[in-house]
Amino acid sequence: MTIAMRLGWLPVLDRKLLRELWRLRGPALAIALVIAAGVGMVMMSVGMMRSLEATRDAYYDRYRFADVFAPAKRVPVALLPELAHLPGVRTSEGRITMSALIDLPYVFDPINARLHSLPAKGRPHINDLVLRAGRWPDPARPDELLANEAFLKAAKLGLGDEITVILNGKRRAFRIVGAVLSPEYVYAIPPGQIFPDNARFGVLWLHEEVLAGAFDLRQAFNELLVRVDPGTNVVDVIRRIDDRLQPFGGIGGYARDQQISDRFVTNELNELRNMTRILPPVFLLVAAFLTHLVLSRLIDTEREVIGLLKAFGFRNRVIIGHYLKLAILLSLGGLILGATLGIWLGRGLARLYQQFFVFPFLQFHVDADLFLMALLAALFPVLTGCFIAIRRAAALTPAEAMSPPLPTNYGGRLTGALTQFRSLDQLTRIILRGLARRPVRTLLTAIGIGAALALYIASASSRDNVEEMIRITFNQAEREDLLVTFTEPRGRDALTALARLPGIRRVEPVRAVSVVLTHQGISRREAITATDTGADLSRLIDIDGTVIEPPKQGLVLSASLARQLRVGRGDAVEIEVTQGRRPRWQSHVVAVVESAIGSPAYMRLDELDRRMMEGPRISGAFLAIDTDARTAILKALRETPAIAGISEVEASRRALRNTIAETMGIITLFNTGFAGLIVFGVIYNHARVALAERARDLASLRVLGFRTTEVAYLLIGELMLLTLIALPLGIAMGIGLAHYIVSAFGGDLFTIPYALSIGTMARAVLVVMAAAGATAYLVSRRLGQLDLVAVLKTRD
Amino acid sequence: MEGLTKIYGAGVSAVQALRGVDLEIRSGELIVLLGPSGSGKSTILNILGGLDEPTAGHVWFEGQDLTALDGSALTEYRRQHVGFVFQFYNLVASLTARENVALITDIADDAMMPQEALAMVGLTDRLDHFPAQLSGGEQQRVAIARAIAKRPRVLFCDEPTGALDSQTGIMVLEAIQRINRELGTTTLIITHNAVIAGIADVVWQFADGMLAQSTRNPVRVAASELRW
Repeated sequence: MTIAMRLGWLPVLDRKLLRELWRLRGPALAIALVIAAGVGMVMMSVGMMRSLEATRDAYYDRYRFADVFAPAKRVPVALLPELAHLPGVRTSEGRITMSALIDLPYVFDPINARLHSLPAKGRPHINDLVLRAGRWPDPARPDELLANEAFLKAAKLGLGDEITVILNGKRRAFRIVGAVLSPEYVYAIPPGQIFPDNARFGVLWLHEEVLAGAFDLRQAFNELLVRVDPGTNVVDVIRRIDDRLQPFGGIGGYARDQQISDRFVTNELNELRNMTRILPPVFLLVAAFLTHLVLSRLIDTEREVIGLLKAFGFRNRVIIGHYLKLAILLSLGGLILGATLGIWLGRGLARLYQQFFVFPFLQFHVDADLFLMALLAALFPVLTGCFIAIRRAAALTPAEAMSPPLPTNYGGRLTGALTQFRSLDQLTRIILRGLARRPVRTLLTAIGIGAALALYIASASSRDNVEEMIRITFNQAEREDLLVTFTEPRGRDALTALARLPGIRRVEPVRAVSVVLTHQGISRREAITATDTGADLSRLIDIDGTVIEPPKQGLVLSASLARQLRVGRGDAVEIEVTQGRRPRWQSHVVAVVESAIGSPAYMRLDELDRRMMEGPRISGAFLAIDTDARTAILKALRETPAIAGISEVEASRRALRNTIAETMGIITLFNTGFAGLIVFGVIYNHARVALAERARDLASLRVLGFRTTEVAYLLIGELMLLTLIALPLGIAMGIGLAHYIVSAFGGDLFTIPYALSIGTMARAVLVVMAAAGATAYLVSRRLGQLDLVAVLKTRD
Repeated sequence: MEGLTKIYGAGVSAVQALRGVDLEIRSGELIVLLGPSGSGKSTILNILGGLDEPTAGHVWFEGQDLTALDGSALTEYRRQHVGFVFQFYNLVASLTARENVALITDIADDAMMPQEALAMVGLTDRLDHFPAQLSGGEQQRVAIARAIAKRPRVLFCDEPTGALDSQTGIMVLEAIQRINRELGTTTLIITHNAVIAGIADVVWQFADGMLAQSTRNPVRVAASELRW
């Protein structure tokens, strides 16, 4: 009464609309949830991606991240003015960059360090630092240094703590006075590795004269940083710089996109973008399809009212408008909910990733175009779906709607065939005929449930894929315990020396050299890794788990590098070594390997030795050790001056899990959450509409003496049957979608294999079954509220 | 029935549908209940059929007080003892004539074969037809076969001829009369149509929620002799 009075100012049809909306609040909520899941997913993903990319760009720009890095052996400071005037160079700066080991009294594990010099005066002009805590080193205190924040946290070091750094074989104590971030070390990745490992790798910034003194680089530098003029061809600038630095031991400059941290960030963002580019539109599509399905069925149940309105003289246009309004209102809730939720979650996710990437700040803004896109994408199917259903209903003459309807004819071939099965009970017969009578709708509903299942499977599959990548990498490819790298390439006798240490089970040689690979004008700066044949510890494994032996002659390339260079099997590649005697030669690509993680270029050690013209040389060794001897071995290795770095494979495995698995984990959690929401929305919607459509049959059966449980079987049995049809469809679609996502991602640093597990599929099936179960419970509760008296009096 | 009262709603909007009705039905009788809309005849049928509860009063069925039963016990009462025939047949469109009857015989203890029930309403040749393939009269006869196949103690028919023309309506009434005669099923027919009263043992006239008149017919007319 009071509501009716309050609505008095509205036209009658609009009052009906609002009350209808209130009556349909259950299904409306479910529709809203499905739309919200689709829209929310798009808003969240795209918003987060844009935000992260904008943040990265702003970070690089504000802290003047170098465009070009040019390492060399020893360049006199006097050359700087000339370098600064090279065409295309906007600003340039020379610095000293060195590797070292850090010795912490209470940490036994080997800790590698990268050292950079700080300018004598002021802050770095290029690759500036974000001071997160503490202060800049006092120019008068040579023992003060800055360290990257991630390392300090992981190594549990604080400001004011003292650490010992082994500089060129000499131990020297320093005091940490500041924790910093650097655009150069968004990810701090130890040399020779491709994953960050903050507990065992630190980046330190020291006074210039300290490093110059320790490494004999007074009045000199060994790395040139350059920011180029906007619009300049970076390759040309690098060529000019290389020409100038070559006499000073320049080993070839490289652009920012070859810098390891940026490559990793880009790779991670690409992986994220890949997950956010494919899945959300599919989500939206599925949500739209389901909304369409549900709304058109809902309007079908309004047929009678539509006939009545026409009988009263309402025009078709008005009636269509009325129901379109209903549809828009039904979906508007979802849109607003989805957009709000999406923006909120997107901001939250971006913030999570901000901490993960350690960006010093976050730029989050929601663009209007995004909102508009989601709006249109969600509204379009809703409106078209309703329009078709309403037009169908409005096409009836009022008389047709007012007279008793003819029962639906079930005399078809498919439905009639069931008559022969006498042993079937009648309720099951009703279910089967109901589904068979409308095969298209049955199939569409099953596809809808299946699509929701597929989304869940595809979303959850990324976790399996990363696990598989870890498994291939560490159980098949990297089976060594330790990798040691030497300060300088050494003869093979170093292997013998290593093998002689007690507790060493196996030693295998490796040599990595920096090269520039060129094919048809495209150049890539990479490292070639060379090993002996029959290597057992570190092997090249392709993504299906096959072991690839280095060929007697020629080169094996990773698929991503081959793509970048546009080469295939049999093509010739120009190889230019950027160290030692700088030999150049042409080599044929013998194989292109799709490997999860691994060196991008691979060849046999004896061939590399021949090409390098230095005699047999190795740059490091893989070691398999007895666990009991670990401590003794690490101690001995650390005391060996020739060893520059020691990395433990277990630490890499942990690092890999902490980075990729975590990046993927966050987004996967959200994706599966949204998918779960859609699964529930679809099933619940279907059951509610089915209940509305069958209300009269169900009530008749109750009057005839059927128990609530028996009547519930009619609805729940149908639901379960549809779900059973949907399961194989959904699994098939899920596998397809999961495959597609994997194939669409061409990573630069690593390739993610496809490895959807039975467990994930089982979990997805369980989620669907749980949603069906919950729906069955909710719907059977409503069966108790059927109006038995009404069916005696009303026709359909 | 003792002091049967039914009030819908409360306060100013309360509507008294039944105002203390006392009646007795003998086993095997055919009763026709006449009365204008709102006279309370449907309310009586709903309460006797176990679909609704009276506000006051008692309904005794073979010594059992129906008003003391809960929802599931009422379901069992309907399942075991009551047959319903609706104005709009309420057949399940996706089941054939035979299967619509089997729907009930499957769950009843001492049921006839579906074809046997259908034979009683003269539909032996339409066993495997779907409702959409049957005329209105045929559909209503399937509904009667469905109602009596479990050999109910009572048969409630709510305007069974309401949606049918007179010729078809008479065929349906013939079927009901035959069931009553051959199976001894106590039958209660609600109708607007006073002509139908001729086939009854007893005619109750309802007005304003009360029994206005109860007449016992000295002679029952055969349904085939009715004209309207």
